[in-house]
Amino acid sequence: MPHDAVDRDLKKGSGELLILSLLEARPRHGYEISKLIETRSEGAVSFRVASLYPLLYRLEARGLIQGRWVEKAGQRRRRYYRVTAAGKKVLAARRAGWQAFVEAIQRITEKEYA
Amino acid sequence: MPDWKAAIRERLRGLDLDGGREAEIVEELAQHLGDRYAEMIAAGASEDRALRSVLDELEGSYPLAEGLRSAGEAAAREPRSLGASGSEGILGGLGHDLRVASRVIRVNPAFSLAVVLMLALGVAGTTAIFSVFDGLFLRPLPFPDPGRLVDLNEAAPKWNLTQVSVSNPDFTAWRNGNASFDSMAFFSGGGANLSDSSGVARRIKTAEVTHDLLGMLGLKPVLGRDFLPEEDRPGGAKVVLLGYDLWRSLFHGERNVAGRIVKLDEQPYTVIGVLPREAVLPPDAEAWRPLAADPNQGGSYYLDGIGRLKRGVSLAQAKADLTRVHKGMIQGAKAYVNEFTFPTVIPLRDRYLGDFRTVTNILLGAVGVVLLIACVNIAGLTMVRGEARSREIAIRAAVGASRARIVRQLLTESLVLAGLGGALGVLLGKACLAAMVSSIPDDVPQWVSFAWDWRFALFSIVVTGAAAMLFGLAPALQAAAADAGSCLQETSRSSPSRARHRVLSGLVVFEIALASMLLVCSGLLFQAFRKVLNVDPGFRPDHVMTWRLDLPAAKYPKAEQQLGAYRDLVARLRALPGVSAVSAASLVPLNGHVGNFFVAEGARPLGRNEQNPVVLTTTALAGYFETMGMTLLKGRWITEQDQEAHAPQVVVVNESFAKRFWPGQDPVGKRIRFDGEKTPWMQVAGLARDTKHYGLDTEMKPGVFLPFTTQPQPALTMVLRSPGDVERLVGPVRETIRQMDPDLPMFEIRTMTERLDRSLWTRRASSWLFGAFAAVAILLAVAGIYGVVSFAVSRRTREIGIRIALGARPGDVVAQVLGSGMALVAIGTTVGLAASVAIANVLKSMLFGVSARDLATYAAVAALVALVGALANSVPARRAAAIDPIRALRTE
Repeated sequence: MPHDAVDRDLKKGSGELLILSLLEARPRHGYEISKLIETRSEGAVSFRVASLYPLLYRLEARGLIQGRWVEKAGQRRRRYYRVTAAGKKVLAARRAGWQAFVEAIQRITEKEYA
Repeated sequence: MPDWKAAIRERLRGLDLDGGREAEIVEELAQHLGDRYAEMIAAGASEDRALRSVLDELEGSYPLAEGLRSAGEAAAREPRSLGASGSEGILGGLGHDLRVASRVIRVNPAFSLAVVLMLALGVAGTTAIFSVFDGLFLRPLPFPDPGRLVDLNEAAPKWNLTQVSVSNPDFTAWRNGNASFDSMAFFSGGGANLSDSSGVARRIKTAEVTHDLLGMLGLKPVLGRDFLPEEDRPGGAKVVLLGYDLWRSLFHGERNVAGRIVKLDEQPYTVIGVLPREAVLPPDAEAWRPLAADPNQGGSYYLDGIGRLKRGVSLAQAKADLTRVHKGMIQGAKAYVNEFTFPTVIPLRDRYLGDFRTVTNILLGAVGVVLLIACVNIAGLTMVRGEARSREIAIRAAVGASRARIVRQLLTESLVLAGLGGALGVLLGKACLAAMVSSIPDDVPQWVSFAWDWRFALFSIVVTGAAAMLFGLAPALQAAAADAGSCLQETSRSSPSRARHRVLSGLVVFEIALASMLLVCSGLLFQAFRKVLNVDPGFRPDHVMTWRLDLPAAKYPKAEQQLGAYRDLVARLRALPGVSAVSAASLVPLNGHVGNFFVAEGARPLGRNEQNPVVLTTTALAGYFETMGMTLLKGRWITEQDQEAHAPQVVVVNESFAKRFWPGQDPVGKRIRFDGEKTPWMQVAGLARDTKHYGLDTEMKPGVFLPFTTQPQPALTMVLRSPGDVERLVGPVRETIRQMDPDLPMFEIRTMTERLDRSLWTRRASSWLFGAFAAVAILLAVAGIYGVVSFAVSRRTREIGIRIALGARPGDVVAQVLGSGMALVAIGTTVGLAASVAIANVLKSMLFGVSARDLATYAAVAALVALVGALANSVPARRAAAIDPIRALRTE
């Protein structure tokens, strides 16, 4: 497999996978998503506003997630995003691809140390 | 708290979002920034630092507006992933694609080489042939507005003659009476002995033309002037226009040639100018002289005509118009008008290239088939590759590569391969074309040029490249589709999808069928060629040299002088060492045709609708038959005594003549005479076996041989036989002729073997070309079978491994793989042979009596395809048998 092609696609595509994964369990708003990515990756991955929201809007435009304004008692209204059925399908595919990729990388790296 | 909304709105300016949407975005982002700010302050950051850090979130390397703009456009399109900055140009992406493509190509050298070679073969063969076709039929004539130029001739359908040429009265009447031509001009090809001041004689080809020919073609002399009308009348001035090449060789390009004198056939001619290079009609003419025809001199049909149609006049209209004029002459009841002839009008190009049309069309068909096979093969290969890469593509899709991105990558790979194959094809093809052009006979008109056809090269590169892309993309796109997970699972189970395998098998069957078809056609053509080569020509062509001499009327005005000169020369030549026989005749086999009508005494009556046949008429000196190695069936040959002035008139007839006029009877002793005039009867002295005068593959016509005194001819073809190397005698012969008459050039020097070879040129060339195409086709098909079966084996490694582990013997595995591959071969061959039966009929005109259903050819093709098919299958079959079950299982 041409490695630099994958590398580049990886950078571009990982955000999509991360967001879909985070929304799989329950709906979340943008700030929560960015905080979760940052904390769960222990600061290794972070998204700026300028990258996160265009990505959310794009996923929404493709029908993979859906955003809705929700008002909870005593709070400002916030926009919550949830995964659609189409989004779940893509998530499964992306996840399988990701695992295959990681396994491939592992096989390579294992060989290095063998 | 800073005004986040203002900061955001500022960055959204210019995006033209609608009001509601903008407010929502501003609200959502402002909340985010507010939360972030509060969090940082709570964590102890200074207000200033928190502000800078938060605002930074809106900038970075991906400005907010850029991201949102593409998000706004994205609904219908593929997404631009995060990280794709808007500033990255198309070229940057292309460079990346090219790098990846070149790596992919280098990683799979076998695959890449196969595709490149197939492309190259397809492009090279097809373009070379197409370039020849283009040169012959598609390129315009080198004259202004050539589409309006037509060939004018007369046909005599009653005598089964399609071109009898035009007579003086006819051309005069046509020219004066027509309403559909801007102009028409006529010419007759001839030759002359040219002698210059240095005393060196050479033969040149001349054309006797009407004064308006050059102007009618739309050309002007490059030096001097054109003919004047008064020079084109009987008794007009002896003037000549030199051809461009003759001017260069004779006067070394000197510009001041007008007024110079050259001697043609011992007569002084004044040079009035030099023809332009484009003046290539009449073909091969090196100098033009005025025709100076007498319009009242009828009876002789000897002129070729060219007309320039008025704008908007069709061929049919022009023909109807000329026919009206032509038939009007019959009503004028002039004695010379022949009511059996009709004017013919055909495109100029057809007249001079008609003979090559069938051959080139058939070859073009073969080219198409090879191109198709190359496409099918490339399609199959790339499909196999696409399948093999579907896992890689699925992963790339999974980690976020868009479908457009993947397609672009694959397209780039295909383009790189097509580019390499195309470039190699162009090199190969140019070499092919050069080889083909060098073997083209010199009876193709000079104005035909064969140049490499870039348009077609591009066309074939595009066609094959497109095949590569289409078939490479299909599996890739499936892999990149949303349901990538199942694709990964499927590929990991190592079973090629059934549908795709069926398509691949179909492709292989298709190309085996096509290759079998080409093999059958080529086999039939070779059979026909062999059959033609085995035809007995009726003379012994080996060790015979021929050349022409033309005794000029100025020096040899009388028939006795001409005969005397030829007898003298024969005697001198016979004395040369190494010469076993010498003689001469007006025509030798494969040397043209002169026909007459004859009346035969006691001939069988003509049937209804049967016409008196045209009889090939040859003037022969004594000894000609023996020198040519002909066979006497009855009676005797023409002798020296028959050539005496008052000898009884005798004639030798050929078998066809005897069969036609006196079937089943002995012709010797019977009498014939020329038709139409009250000529004396001539007694048949001998019966000769037919010679293949018009070519080995052409039927012989009735023919007669007359002694020189009966029909004197100043121009004869001399024939010389030697037991040794006859070509070494050309020098001594030339010297002998020079001693007799230094102004007499010998021309058209050819051995009889050479004449035979030339007559077989089209047949030989088309047979070999067809054979080459068939060879390429079967090679490609074999590569196709090999590829598909290898692919199937490699995808089934695990299954085969399990079977071996369970006790299958290598023999069983080989048999199974071989069997599935050979099934494809069998189906393809059957389909191909069945189609051949239909297709071979197209070749009928070239098969020379070999049946289009020749069993031996079909059987041989079937056996050959089966053999190479088995070879191609055996490699992957053996590989399958050698599979190590442990390893096979571990490949998962």
